[in-house]
Amino acid sequence: MGRETNSNFMNGVPELLILKLLGQGDMYGYEIVQAIRNRTGEAIAVGEGVVYPVLHGLEQDGALTSRRKMVNGRSRVYYMVTPAGLRRFAERAQAWTDLSSAIQKVLTGG
Amino acid sequence: MARLFDELGERLLRAGVAPRHVRRYLRELGDHLADLRAEEEHAGKSRADAESAALARLGEMEDLARAMMEQSHLQSWSARAPWAMCGLAPLFVLAAAWFVALFILWSGWQIFKPEATSPFGGGPHYGFANIYFQAGKAIYFGAPYFVGWGIGWMAARQRLKVLWPILGLALVALAAGTAQVHASRTGAYGGAYPVSMSFALGSSIPAFLANIQDVAVILTFTALPYLIWRLRQARSLSS
Repeated sequence: MGRETNSNFMNGVPELLILKLLGQGDMYGYEIVQAIRNRTGEAIAVGEGVVYPVLHGLEQDGALTSRRKMVNGRSRVYYMVTPAGLRRFAERAQAWTDLSSAIQKVLTGG
Repeated sequence: MARLFDELGERLLRAGVAPRHVRRYLRELGDHLADLRAEEEHAGKSRADAESAALARLGEMEDLARAMMEQSHLQSWSARAPWAMCGLAPLFVLAAAWFVALFILWSGWQIFKPEATSPFGGGPHYGFANIYFQAGKAIYFGAPYFVGWGIGWMAARQRLKVLWPILGLALVALAAGTAQVHASRTGAYGGAYPVSMSFALGSSIPAFLANIQDVAVILTFTALPYLIWRLRQARSLSS
């Protein structure tokens, strides 16, 4: 997949990836974006700044919490996933898996 | 770059995003941009090239703004319900302040002037009694101004349309300009000291006209800082 991404199709994907990554450890925005780039082989490439509204939205919903931490003399906002966030991830991941297998079925002519 | 962030912040505020989310977003974008620039410089780019590459990676202003505006639950309450934040909430705050002021008047009357027929007049107060009554008076007369300035501050901070704060200021001025406090020793409560409040608004045209000057003074003083801010804002945007 190139850098052009279908925004409608991508709805909910950043949220899913963020919840997955934060389930493995606390991160700040830049780290999250780099992790997404690296783990998807740069297949998902959006403006890096747009990750923050998703983070703020998830925090507002209680799926994440944040705290400011000084790292190497710089203040960073670290995000952590909450139990509600983990539940939300499980639901979204299941929905994504179902959708993906349905599409796969169509593509392989099943 | 600072200008880009200023423009983005202004756009988000005008779209109704809560100021605390806007501030935090801009701060995080600034940090992110610094990280990207450092990464690009580390990869061997000149400072200028690193700066433009970092900005490109951060995203177009249009995308950055839209991503934030799409999060409807990051909207401020004054964008969601301006009628409540500019109309109802200030009147509640004013009512609460007046309740405190009237309580001070009533309790001061009972404590310091138990024999007086009215808490008003009846000779000067000294010492703590004076401070007590003056505090109540300051709350009573100061509350409309502070509430009005609060409306203006909120409207300026959240870039509200001028209609809502002016409506809120007019309501506060009308309530404050026509409010009257009554106190009497005798009445339905027997020996108790009732303190009550009434509003001249609507009682009669002469009563309304008598209070219109007070209403105008309060409205002018409370609206002035907000209107000056709007004028300066309009000038800075046009330049």
